[in-house]
Amino acid sequence: MAAVMVSSAGGLLAMLNEPQASLKHHALSHLNNLVDRFWPEISTSVPIIESLYEDEEFDLHQRQLAALLVSKVFYYLGELNDSLSYALGAGPSFDVSEDTDYVHTLLAKAIDEYASLRSKALESNDMVDIDPRLEAIVERMLEKCITDGKYQQAMGIAIECRRLDKLEEAITKSDNVQGTLSYCINVSHSFVNRREYRHEVLTLLVKVYQKLPSPDYLSICQCLMFLDEPQGVATILEKLLRSESKDDALLALQIAFDLVENEHQAFLLSVRDRLPAPKTRSVEVVQAVETTTAPTENPSGDVQMTDETPAPTVVLETDPVDAIYAERLKKIKGILSGETSIQLTLQFLYSHNKSDLLILKTIKQSVEMRNSVCHSATIYANAIMHAGTTVDTFLRENLDWLSRATNWAKFSATAGLGVIHRGHLQQGRSLMAPYLPQGGAGGGGSPYSEGGALYALGLIHANHGEGIKQFLRDSLRSTNVEVIQHGACLGLGLSAIGTADEEIYDDIKSVLYTDSAVAGEAAGISMGLLLVGTATEKASEMLAYAHETQHEKIIRGLALGIALTVYGREEGADTLIEQMTRDQDPIIRYGGMYALALAYSGTANNKAIRQLLHFAVSDVSDDVRRTAVLALGFVLYSDPEQTPRIVSLLSESYNPHVRYGAALAVGISCAGTGLSEAISLLEPLTSDVVDFVRQGALIAMAMVMVQISEASDSRVGAFRRQLEKIILDKHEDTMSKMGAILASGILDAGGRNVTIRLLSKTKHDKVTAVIGLAVFSQFWYWYPLIYFISLAFSPTAFIGLNYDLKVPKFEFMSHAKPSLFEYPKPTTVATANTAAKLPTAVLSTSVKAKARAKKEAEQKANAEKTSGAEKSVSESASEKGKGSTEKEGDAMQVDGTSTVEKKAAEPEAAFEILVNPARVVPAQEKYIKLLEDSRYVPVKLAPSGFVLLKDLREHEPEVLSLTDAPTSTTSPAAGAAAATQGTTASAMAVDDEPQPPQAFEYAS
Amino acid sequence: MDPQLTEVSQQFERFKAAFVRKDYSTCSDLLSRLKVLLTKFTSLPPLFENTPNAAHELTLARDIYEHAVVLSVKTEDQDAFERDFFQLKPYYVDARNRLPPSPQENLILGLNLLRLLVQNRIAEFHTELELLSSATLDNPCIKHAVELEQSFMEGAYNRVLSARQTAPDATYVYFMDLLAKTIRDEIAGCSEKAYDYVSISDARQMLLFSSDQELLAYVNEEHREWEVKEGFVVFQKAKETAPCKEIPSLQLINQTLSYARELERIV
Repeated sequence: MAAVMVSSAGGLLAMLNEPQASLKHHALSHLNNLVDRFWPEISTSVPIIESLYEDEEFDLHQRQLAALLVSKVFYYLGELNDSLSYALGAGPSFDVSEDTDYVHTLLAKAIDEYASLRSKALESNDMVDIDPRLEAIVERMLEKCITDGKYQQAMGIAIECRRLDKLEEAITKSDNVQGTLSYCINVSHSFVNRREYRHEVLTLLVKVYQKLPSPDYLSICQCLMFLDEPQGVATILEKLLRSESKDDALLALQIAFDLVENEHQAFLLSVRDRLPAPKTRSVEVVQAVETTTAPTENPSGDVQMTDETPAPTVVLETDPVDAIYAERLKKIKGILSGETSIQLTLQFLYSHNKSDLLILKTIKQSVEMRNSVCHSATIYANAIMHAGTTVDTFLRENLDWLSRATNWAKFSATAGLGVIHRGHLQQGRSLMAPYLPQGGAGGGGSPYSEGGALYALGLIHANHGEGIKQFLRDSLRSTNVEVIQHGACLGLGLSAIGTADEEIYDDIKSVLYTDSAVAGEAAGISMGLLLVGTATEKASEMLAYAHETQHEKIIRGLALGIALTVYGREEGADTLIEQMTRDQDPIIRYGGMYALALAYSGTANNKAIRQLLHFAVSDVSDDVRRTAVLALGFVLYSDPEQTPRIVSLLSESYNPHVRYGAALAVGISCAGTGLSEAISLLEPLTSDVVDFVRQGALIAMAMVMVQISEASDSRVGAFRRQLEKIILDKHEDTMSKMGAILASGILDAGGRNVTIRLLSKTKHDKVTAVIGLAVFSQFWYWYPLIYFISLAFSPTAFIGLNYDLKVPKFEFMSHAKPSLFEYPKPTTVATANTAAKLPTAVLSTSVKAKARAKKEAEQKANAEKTSGAEKSVSESASEKGKGSTEKEGDAMQVDGTSTVEKKAAEPEAAFEILVNPARVVPAQEKYIKLLEDSRYVPVKLAPSGFVLLKDLREHEPEVLSLTDAPTSTTSPAAGAAAATQGTTASAMAVDDEPQPPQAFEYAS
Repeated sequence: MDPQLTEVSQQFERFKAAFVRKDYSTCSDLLSRLKVLLTKFTSLPPLFENTPNAAHELTLARDIYEHAVVLSVKTEDQDAFERDFFQLKPYYVDARNRLPPSPQENLILGLNLLRLLVQNRIAEFHTELELLSSATLDNPCIKHAVELEQSFMEGAYNRVLSARQTAPDATYVYFMDLLAKTIRDEIAGCSEKAYDYVSISDARQMLLFSSDQELLAYVNEEHREWEVKEGFVVFQKAKETAPCKEIPSLQLINQTLSYARELERIV
């Protein structure tokens, strides 16, 4: 192109009016090149060019050229619709590969248009005419993407336009099929809004996966689980189990663990039942395993985990291949039933328990005896703090104090045991035996503790209730005391989550129809739990009864129950949601909010968010508004960064209910993330003028900060101090005090080894956790429901397992400063007592000496353990020093200097060696690295959770860690458990289960 | 020499010959063939490629278009004039520093100005004027057009008409005739507004006709709505008194009052 350019398109435009066609063509083709500069001039002549395009006599190519020119002019004028329609007229002259803004914009427009037409056509099921030219453009674009190697783009467009054929083509043609597939799975989860369509995509993906020479079974099984196809999973598992290679078997076990993580009980059970039994006589073994599924309670749970002797004996008689299969099958069934993981989690939580009894003690002392709300809050806090650790020291040490709990407080105190012993499947019954209703006839025990015990059994067996269902049913049927019915209903619902068991349903229904408020409420919730995510017809039955009954409690229970039934159904639930949200009764509308929350949980669906926001500001009932805001938390938990932004305005609402909802919404969706914006949003709310807003904010803050160390966010420490202050303050309102007590429980939940996690590592939602939190948020009306939060706890652990599902000694590295993720320091008694000062001084010097000695002989392997332990001691010493400084000025110098010296003497390591099983908090996961010369290699690269390890040196004897099963030690002081851990290498002795705690009787 | 160029030159020679012969229909045929041939040259606008014959081709093309413009005047085809002029313009504007200026340039520019004046496109006239340099403005052709416009605006119509004699080129005459008609239209428009009726002789004088017949013919052709009776031209008929819209004041007042009353009631 020469330096000289024309200064006007006038000449060419004039040429358009020339009579000769060739001149017009000449002008058109030149104008096409100049249009980017001279579109304002050309725009006045658009009618002429349009008429050229419409001129039938004109040669086709020229007409297309004219159309392209008009399209460009319209593009510059911002009339994209006109521009697109002319571009379509331009046919092949519109070059999709051109790299200009015009082409990019129009392509985007074309794809949008096409996608919306396609989805409209598919959704309304009637034929919408799609311009074939539009389709052609999109297809050209797709082909171009595929040939250019931009597979992700092609997949994105294909998914958006619902062109599954093209999607398949893009995936199979891509150079890295595995990578593309996993990308596609991600995309389909985060961007495909319609559930049915997502199903189609996933079905396709599974099909593609299966065609691959070396399929990624982990991903396939995840897809199949989402599609709810147990048969497919069972087939894959069987294939892997039957394989010669041990690696395949390990993979199968890993798959099983991953599936279990999603807590989809009904699905897992059907996978398990579909795994074919081995032929020949080894059938006996399998049957023995299968009896676990039978409703009658049996002890084979123990056998299958621990007892290996029967297997070899049977193996001798069968053909070896089948024998191996049988043995593997036994393992996998154990995993699928959830028992293996529960057992290992229990052991982990027990052995790593770091809960701080002093905090509880402080709470207990500061709470007024007569204030029953705070009294039971303390009991709740204790239960949450020790959730799943089986450590009930605090209760046993304070029997007198505990006995002040009466009536419903007694109910929840007893139920608290269930939280503490959560997952203690084998001994659950015997643990609770003293409180359970005796022989149906209702013995001498208080109905409150009996009801509580039944609820506790449900909590222990939550989502794995095969062994306990029958017992709970019997108890339910044999009583007509509403408190016991209440407990039994909750227990049944918990243990049979999502199983949709008809018999249980009928039992509960008969309780509901007694129309007793207390029992009916529990029955409503329980029905929901039972039918989670099934979207059955029964929901309308429940809704009808909710209209019939007079009791608000029952309506509320039913409303929540109905909401639970539509869990995860997305659009499928729309009719029901519509019906509920338009109801006259605010309680049903309130249920409608939960239905919205649960049906769209974790989808971040815009429609649902819009609807919720609408209700949050427009409903007349405070309850509905509060719940609408709260429900946002559920919808958004897959995208926690969004939530604080969306609810930030609501958190400044004049209406305290809305503020409360905003606090909990942030708490729910950002749980365990320690997200800075979330904390900033909650901080002002913790000192709100209204007491219940403070309560909600404190609880939400605790949920957000669980497992976040002070080193990574200093506000955690400030929050802990704030809690302490509120608890100690005599004049604080009961409501916020209760919030503070619960918050301290949640903050240190599960012996400081669990977090609240609503998504599994594969980004699927964890059903139990989500509904646990949903029911938990009901504590506004009914405190005992607080315990449902324990369902949302998942251990922050890396548990490596070998082929025998034992925990071998395996070391790996956390490439970050240990202090970043360490346990919070144990609190110390802040006392004015001088006697306490003396041991302090001794302790700090001795530690210093010890540290110096250790440093010389420091070894990589034990660095973690020793430094961790001594640091906690030393730092407790320094804390003590500080504590006493504040109290007594004269002691300051000595202690102060000694601590400074101490800190200077020990520079912090940049990394930390962790020993299997180890505590790995979520924030730490990205720092986890494997040691290079390690004996074991994980089957799947995962920084936490259950990971199967491949043994590279099979013939060496294995050293096992985590051998100490929970025993009823009298006082598992911090560190005591850790000291015993990892030393002995005996086989896992599950028979050393803890003794049931001694029964403590309430003085009634 | 490039065969294409030779062909164009030959055709152009024939065109010129026909032009001199005043055989305008042959000219038009040849011209359209020439235009098509010109599109083959890449050195011409809008591409301006630097081909070896660029200067020659440009000059030739400019020549052709200049002739085309003049031809359109001769054939009294204003549309063709406009088309050809616009196609010629890049040669004047954009190719200014590649070609020696054309001797015809000012003449053609002046013609264009005149055309705009005739078509009463005063805005475009001034736009064109702004684009000219001050030196060009002194050129008699341009100056002529500018002066005409001034007289036209002032309403010194007699000066416009007398300017016909001072036209710098024979081609201008065509536009000058057209201009006279434009002026007559202006005057007619004014008198229509100014008078209810005028006598025929006055009208003839005003509209610059030499005879009453001419005037009557003009009235018949252009202003059918005028009435000629009893020695007068009556414009009255044209003046349709637009009925002035009455403001429904009473209704409005009532409405406003009732709003005020109701507002008071609400508060």
